[in-house]
Amino acid sequence: MGASTVSAYAQLQVRVRVQYSRLLTPQRLQELMQVENFAALLSSLLDTAYAPYLEKVDRSLLTPRRVVYQLRCRLAASYEKLIKFTPDPGHQLLMQLWSLYEVDNLKATLRGIEHQSSWEQVLYLLSPGEKYWTVTFDKLQDMMRSDDIATALEVLRSTLYYEPLAHALNRYQDEESLFPLEAALDLDYYRELWKSMQQLTGNDRQQALRLIGPVIDKDNLLGAIRYRIYHRMSTQEIINYTLPFGYRVQDAHIRAIAAGEDIGAVVRGIYPRLLLAAVDFEAAPGLALRALEVELNRQIVRRCRIVFRGAPFHIGLPVAYLLLHEHEIENLTALIEAKDSRLPLEMIKSVVDFMPLDSQLERS
Amino acid sequence: MLQSQTMSKVELVAPEEDVIRATETLAVSGVFHPVHGEGIAGGEDTTDNGWREWAAGFADLERRILALMESLGVAAGAPSVKAPHLINLAVAKLDVQHLENEAQVYLRQLRKAQQHLKDLDQYITQLEPLAGLDVDLGRLRNLQHVFVLPGTMPLDNLERLRTSLEHTPFELIILDRADYLASVLLFGAQQDAVILERAARSAYLHPVHIPAEYRGTPAQALKSISVGRGRTWRHIVEIQDKIEQLQEARVKHLRYLLWRVRASRKMVETIIGYEHLRYTYVITGWVPTAELPALKKAVRKTSENVVFEIKELAQEDAAEIPVIMSNPAMLKGFQGLVTNYGYPSYEELDPTLLLALTFPLFFGIMFGDVGQGLLLALLGGLLISRKIRSLRGMAELGWVILACGLSAICFGFLYGSLFGSEEILTALWIEPLKETSDILMATIGIGIVVLSGGMFANMVNAVRNRQWGGLLFGHHGLAGLLFYWSMIGLAATSFANVLPLSPVWFGGGLGLSALLLIAAEPLGQLVESRQPLIEGAAGAYFVQATFELFEVVIGLFSNTLSYVRMGAFAVAHGALSLVIFILAGMVSPGQGIGYWLVVVLGNLFIIGFEGMIVGIQTMRLAYYEFFSKFFSGSGVRFQPLTLIPPDK
Repeated sequence: MGASTVSAYAQLQVRVRVQYSRLLTPQRLQELMQVENFAALLSSLLDTAYAPYLEKVDRSLLTPRRVVYQLRCRLAASYEKLIKFTPDPGHQLLMQLWSLYEVDNLKATLRGIEHQSSWEQVLYLLSPGEKYWTVTFDKLQDMMRSDDIATALEVLRSTLYYEPLAHALNRYQDEESLFPLEAALDLDYYRELWKSMQQLTGNDRQQALRLIGPVIDKDNLLGAIRYRIYHRMSTQEIINYTLPFGYRVQDAHIRAIAAGEDIGAVVRGIYPRLLLAAVDFEAAPGLALRALEVELNRQIVRRCRIVFRGAPFHIGLPVAYLLLHEHEIENLTALIEAKDSRLPLEMIKSVVDFMPLDSQLERS
Repeated sequence: MLQSQTMSKVELVAPEEDVIRATETLAVSGVFHPVHGEGIAGGEDTTDNGWREWAAGFADLERRILALMESLGVAAGAPSVKAPHLINLAVAKLDVQHLENEAQVYLRQLRKAQQHLKDLDQYITQLEPLAGLDVDLGRLRNLQHVFVLPGTMPLDNLERLRTSLEHTPFELIILDRADYLASVLLFGAQQDAVILERAARSAYLHPVHIPAEYRGTPAQALKSISVGRGRTWRHIVEIQDKIEQLQEARVKHLRYLLWRVRASRKMVETIIGYEHLRYTYVITGWVPTAELPALKKAVRKTSENVVFEIKELAQEDAAEIPVIMSNPAMLKGFQGLVTNYGYPSYEELDPTLLLALTFPLFFGIMFGDVGQGLLLALLGGLLISRKIRSLRGMAELGWVILACGLSAICFGFLYGSLFGSEEILTALWIEPLKETSDILMATIGIGIVVLSGGMFANMVNAVRNRQWGGLLFGHHGLAGLLFYWSMIGLAATSFANVLPLSPVWFGGGLGLSALLLIAAEPLGQLVESRQPLIEGAAGAYFVQATFELFEVVIGLFSNTLSYVRMGAFAVAHGALSLVIFILAGMVSPGQGIGYWLVVVLGNLFIIGFEGMIVGIQTMRLAYYEFFSKFFSGSGVRFQPLTLIPPDK
């Protein structure tokens, strides 16, 4: 690692640690969970690092959807700041990681066109922060103005998303379902993300694989299980809609699930130490999938936290912080929706998984 | 030069029917710096009289025009509107709609023809490998036992498709590879057709069915496809010609529309920023006082109903008064260096002239050489002359380089250095390499003068701002200057005994000024007749003030020593030049061509590399040691209202 890279990482890690210290503590999150309703939750959020983003909007306009949008503004600011200060090739990796939200925006817009929604209805479902994206809000708005998906895709002609979508368009037109378009976008995104990680070297690559690899594993594994249980796809279809690479989830595992092997056994084979003894994917697939998702999320969070105790001069630090921030916002989103729907506390606990305190980790 | 232009605050009260014309007049004048108030949404009256809807309408229209221009290959170009008026939104919408419809006819045709051409190319790719077969295509289409699926699929999916079919007999032939897609033929048994089709579909293998109209053998079909391809290609060229004609016919109109709509959007957004009460708008802003009569006349000409009022300056206005720095062209480069740090606030000295004096001085001390300075001066002159088109944007910087070059020449004579050689010229003052401690001491002396100058400038600023407390007791005020000079005097008499006064005098001065600095806040409050004299507990204040005094001592000490770098660089410059001559001697002891080559390259290296480092050090001394004594850089730049972005 060159002196300039060390110097860049030294500056970067200071920034990351400052931002890391501003994430909500588990205690604060537990307090948020206890508040009475959405209004009280909003007041509590105005007392956190999200306040500057929430205060930009008149309180009367802060609907649950708008609050989530404003929370994401902070995530966007974090991404933009860290992308700016991260040296290459880590810079490229963060850009790719951030483009997941660009892909999500595209999907939301396509759904909006399909359901003939207005731009105003779609706007606050999107993720803000278009600085590093080719698909800007202007482009998305132009897409929304189109009468149909085919015309909307023409707006994307100069972007990387055009080819996969244009090729998948035939299937959309045959099947009248957005699934082929969305799956094409997802596959393309994860392949590019994997390529970005492969371009790293040494410790950077190792750290990226340790942190982003499990995220890819989670989405790939859960996807394969869902395709089999809920979509009743054939072996060939499951394989074609999933990825052949991962950190712990290998192609053989996906093929085993696709071929109809016992899902529980495959999952236990991948994660022998995961506490999933009670779950049964055949009898109660919904519960089993949720339990697996929670456990995999916890594993990712744990890995991210550990990074902050090791050597600082690598890409792991900004990646870990960003993944933790995303996790926090996902949970806050679930909490906002739950409070808005006035769900009882017990039910909220089943949908919100606030970074559990790993006692061993916290003690050390 | 040391002072920015005098500004006046004006307030226009306009009824709604005149607000657009008033805004146009202000924008055209180019002398009105608007102050954004609470705006329409922030005022007591929350209705926006429809302005926001207009702004959204114009923004939407602008996007549509840009999209149309992009599809026709028309660039936005330079602003084609000099004095913009608000365009009628409904009329503009119709206009844009008409242009879109006109273009869409051809654009749709073009897309269709291009797709057809792409399809034909795919047929050719699919059929070319079969060209040698003497079989009718009709028979290939209705095979009994063999499953054949020609198509295109993403390259990235090829391996995945193969993996998915690992338990099914199949053959996947790749006919062609492009950037993203591959043309393929998937073969298998007809009995596995369902499996193969589902696998192919999920791998995004898009089937290419060669239409039944292409009959005969593959070779015969290829021939007729090629004929069709030629026809399609000619059709595309014809459409492109029509699009080009349309582009030529509409380019002016599109650009005109774009800039009118853009200006209208800016105008509406500006009006949204005004404060208003129902149908009366209050437009507040700053105008150079010299321009007031002309602006007043222009506004009166616009409408009799617009009230033009010059406001009395209030205390709270001070921070928001915009600044126009007026310096001659030859100082613009230095002004750029100042604004890079910050804009002077309205009552603050414009440090451009001071920088123009000190910057070349610092540079010359560090880079004193007649020959190298001459080359720099020539480079500066070349940039100023704007003879090289690609360097025209650097003309202002040329003055800075010219001044630095001339200063380097002067110090070159003082040091006796010509292109690094100290043998040719006789030093008029000092030889840095031989009299190292003298040059170091001299530069410390220069540092003391410059820092004292900075403190004087700060005192001038304090007088202009009527900050009497800061003037008398500030760290960079009279007390601070007395403290600094006493500190220097004490050191000079104690260690070198070079001053005629006894150290006791300086000790006394140091003690008195230290007490004044510690008590700066209550004394300042007293002088300015403000209460309370000390905010919070007195004990805590004096402890804090005492510690701050230590900070002042360390700050002044390190700032002064910082100027030693000028001497150090002068020595380093001499040493580096010496090394070049030693190297040249090693390469060619007989002073042949190698010797002179090393001397020339060495000098170029020094000018480029050391010149850059010295430039950075000079900037550092100016910004951190000098400016920090008197220049806050917290001013607001004068940005007149404009509806059209200025031509770059």
